[in-house]
Amino acid sequence: MTHPPTVDERRLSPRVRRLIADAGPLVALIVLIVVFAVANPVFVSPGNIGILLSQAAVPLVIATGLTFVILLGGIDLSIEGVVATSSLVFALTVANDRNDLALGLFGALLAVLAGSVFGLANGLANVKLGIPSFMATLGLGAVGIGIATVLFAGRSPRVLDSGMRMLGQGSTLGIANIFLIAVLVLVIGWFVQRFTRLGRYGYVIGGDEAVARLSGVRVGRYKIGAFVLGGTASGIAGVLLGSQLGVGMPTIGSGTMFTAITAVVLGGTLLTGGRGGVLRSFVGVLIIVVLANGLILIGVNPYAQVAVQGLVIIAAVVATGWRLRTRVRIIK
Amino acid sequence: MTLMNRRTDEAAADPSTAALRAIVPATGRSWRDRLTPLIPLVVLIALVLVITIKQPNFLSLYSMRGLLESVAPLLLLALGQMFVILTGGIDLAFAAVASFGTVLLALWIPDMGPGGIVLALLVTSLIGFVNGFVVAKAQVPSFIVTLGALGLYSGIGLWISGASTIRLSEGYDVVGWLADLRIAQLPASGLLAIVIAVVIAVLMGTLRRGRALHALGLAEPAVLMSGISTVRLRILAFTLSGLFSGLAAVMLVALQRSGGPSLADSMQLPAIAAVVIGGTAITGGVGGAMKTLVGALIIVVLRVGLSAVGVDPAWEQVFYGAVIVAAVALTIDRSRLRSIK
Repeated sequence: MTHPPTVDERRLSPRVRRLIADAGPLVALIVLIVVFAVANPVFVSPGNIGILLSQAAVPLVIATGLTFVILLGGIDLSIEGVVATSSLVFALTVANDRNDLALGLFGALLAVLAGSVFGLANGLANVKLGIPSFMATLGLGAVGIGIATVLFAGRSPRVLDSGMRMLGQGSTLGIANIFLIAVLVLVIGWFVQRFTRLGRYGYVIGGDEAVARLSGVRVGRYKIGAFVLGGTASGIAGVLLGSQLGVGMPTIGSGTMFTAITAVVLGGTLLTGGRGGVLRSFVGVLIIVVLANGLILIGVNPYAQVAVQGLVIIAAVVATGWRLRTRVRIIK
Repeated sequence: MTLMNRRTDEAAADPSTAALRAIVPATGRSWRDRLTPLIPLVVLIALVLVITIKQPNFLSLYSMRGLLESVAPLLLLALGQMFVILTGGIDLAFAAVASFGTVLLALWIPDMGPGGIVLALLVTSLIGFVNGFVVAKAQVPSFIVTLGALGLYSGIGLWISGASTIRLSEGYDVVGWLADLRIAQLPASGLLAIVIAVVIAVLMGTLRRGRALHALGLAEPAVLMSGISTVRLRILAFTLSGLFSGLAAVMLVALQRSGGPSLADSMQLPAIAAVVIGGTAITGGVGGAMKTLVGALIIVVLRVGLSAVGVDPAWEQVFYGAVIVAAVALTIDRSRLRSIK
């Protein structure tokens, strides 16, 4: 840990650096909004802001859950698979055109629960089998896509329950329902992070797992808990997407994982764990959504968006980890 | 390092090698350590036997041809991935880079002929080089850098191809021989891929620095202190991964007569599964080209076998996922992970 201070660190006091790290994403968000508003006034029209909020909903739900996993230094690559399975469980248990089940809200709960089960499996594979999380979740994500493909059976089941469709399509007081649900998830996430052992110990474990272990924290169960939160969030996202599109399908979640990881990293949660939080991820989600929406409004090819997000992920992790680089570490 | 030079692939497959002895207390070779490397080969033979009993024409010339053709791109991708996994990292972008490569080939071959192939291989190698450079220089975990690269290159691929498949008619002969040529009545594509695997195994076993990637995965501080540049080694592994993604792209374009922005994407999981199921540990340091060959054959035989037994192909993904988790759980070396993230 004792390394000669780099030029960078000598010039800036720790407080200034902390301030830049904390306010950076928010400043970036405001700059982006101003730039797009000047480039195309439609960007700040009430109609487009409504679109922005409903576009932010699903990434916000997923990013909130993912933040807990990344805070522990882990990663969840199973998101798209879990979202797919959850959307199909949802579409097949509420009133639909495939079977006679019409469980309503209970069907939505079952779908969320399916996400939690995947989260539990991720956590058990990581903690009990000792498989690094990127590998365990990559494998279980494939299982999720597979189960979704089996349930899909070649044709999308359509959701016929009008109440459940309103969940994703309707709005309350002019604000899209799915955004309200996403904000509710964010608030719950913030409470868990702030006031529960799961949240508080997350910082300790992510900061230094060995120290946490030596202090008597039961690291394993809190890690599993974080993965369950991540899986549950993906389950909720599956329900929201299924309700919004009115179908369940294996590819329904494609692109969601990418957006969520970019958002969490951009918001300032360190991939190495120990620093960050759900509110930062909220700022990250808004940056991504504003960027995606704004680029389309000024006429950038939509496929270039994926490329831009890829570049943003790399740039963000390099930038946030740059200061730690001088230590001789082993990074795989 | 001298001890590491003269080892054959089988000896390195064994976890109780010289480098490990220094780390792991000398408990001797347990039966488990000796038998584990043989499991994949036994599984492969058992699979072939079971399927032959169910479907006697499985060993026919016709089905062997199909098997060899489908193993070719998969094996090339898996070999590229193997170099990175040997160092203890992972390249999640490799299948997307191969897809991107098929788009480049389909766009360039009609105008440039063989030059287009060389250029495409250079580009995919350069992509690997850049990935390795960022991982090694910025010290960012490889999975996140390559995840970003996956988005970057599939985005560019979709963009320049207009998100559609590009048929290759003019100039197809430049790669067409790969699909048409038969050696002893068997497709040259599959045989060529297998020969490449054998050559890699021989080179890694005989070259003076052939086992440097294993050493990097096994004991990075030791490599660093012995004066070898770990940065260059890591970049080399990723560059090779990029090159092999390009080779797989050439093979795919030859077999499919077209290039497409997501042509190779579905091979990401089977190729990673082939590497880990063959016995290469994702903790790095243990594994090799022959193990990867066995792994790729297991995947292809199983795919044929599952449909022969009448399993719905929809279950394939479930199966790959479960196999990856199970194989990693069996081959991982937990003693070398301080904390599992």
